[in-house]
Amino acid sequence: MSLSFTHRHVLEDRMSGYELSPNANHLAVARRPAIFSVLAHAGREAAVADALSAVENISVRTVSPSDWLAVAHVAEAESIVDSLAAIEGLSFVEQGDGQVLMTISGPDVRTILAKCLAVDLHPDVFVEGQSGSMMICRVAGNLARVATDTFEIVVPRSYAGYVFDELREAGREFAMTRGFAA
Amino acid sequence: MASLITCPHCGRRPKEEFSIRGDAVPERPTPVASEEAWHAYVYLRENPRGTIREYWHHAAGCRRWLVVERDNVTHEVYAVTDARDLAKGGAA
Ligand SMILES: [Zn+2]
Repeated sequence: MSLSFTHRHVLEDRMSGYELSPNANHLAVARRPAIFSVLAHAGREAAVADALSAVENISVRTVSPSDWLAVAHVAEAESIVDSLAAIEGLSFVEQGDGQVLMTISGPDVRTILAKCLAVDLHPDVFVEGQSGSMMICRVAGNLARVATDTFEIVVPRSYAGYVFDELREAGREFAMTRGFAA
Repeated sequence: MASLITCPHCGRRPKEEFSIRGDAVPERPTPVASEEAWHAYVYLRENPRGTIREYWHHAAGCRRWLVVERDNVTHEVYAVTDARDLAKGGAA
């Protein structure tokens, strides 16, 4: 079987070498996430936001008042597609091939992210569960706090290699390891 | 400081996330307005010192058009409003 565009991950070549067991600070790349770009039609923003929060198996990321990303680490796209299609006043498209999902975690995660992010990530300001689109290593991406010391990053596939390299460089002093998510 | 802009949707963000898209003061004339009115709208700009209003596009954030009212002498930012809300009759 040949390696297709989707089966060969864009960061595959950067994962070569020793496979270390994860340190306290770790950068994990999801192999095949499902990432839906979701837009509410004019006037339906609040209703769509409510309906989205009830959809199972996805986490909803804020982009703008009428614009979200629906992220699933494991592609169970069909059931999600059905749930999204049932919501009135919503348009969506699956973009998992065009986006890369990474999870960065560890006790020093804020210091690492502070090297390439200009947004205040103090837990009182950017609370757990909060997300937003912002500049991450000079690339327009989406950041979400999924736990006190765990953040998820979504960046366009074509910039992912650069962001990955920058994050690794930022994490070097904390011996951050990297790998595909199990 | 104008290097940090508080987006009404995203919160406090660095100016690098935005692109400034020009004066928000001129009002678009009606299609049948005189040539002079259109010429003024398209080409003529005040160059004020002090408080100015500009369109800022939050390109790396919520991708919304904002109207930023700020001082080009002190760099103080007075207000940041969603341009659509303004256009729909919100107060400036
Ligand atoms: Zn914004």
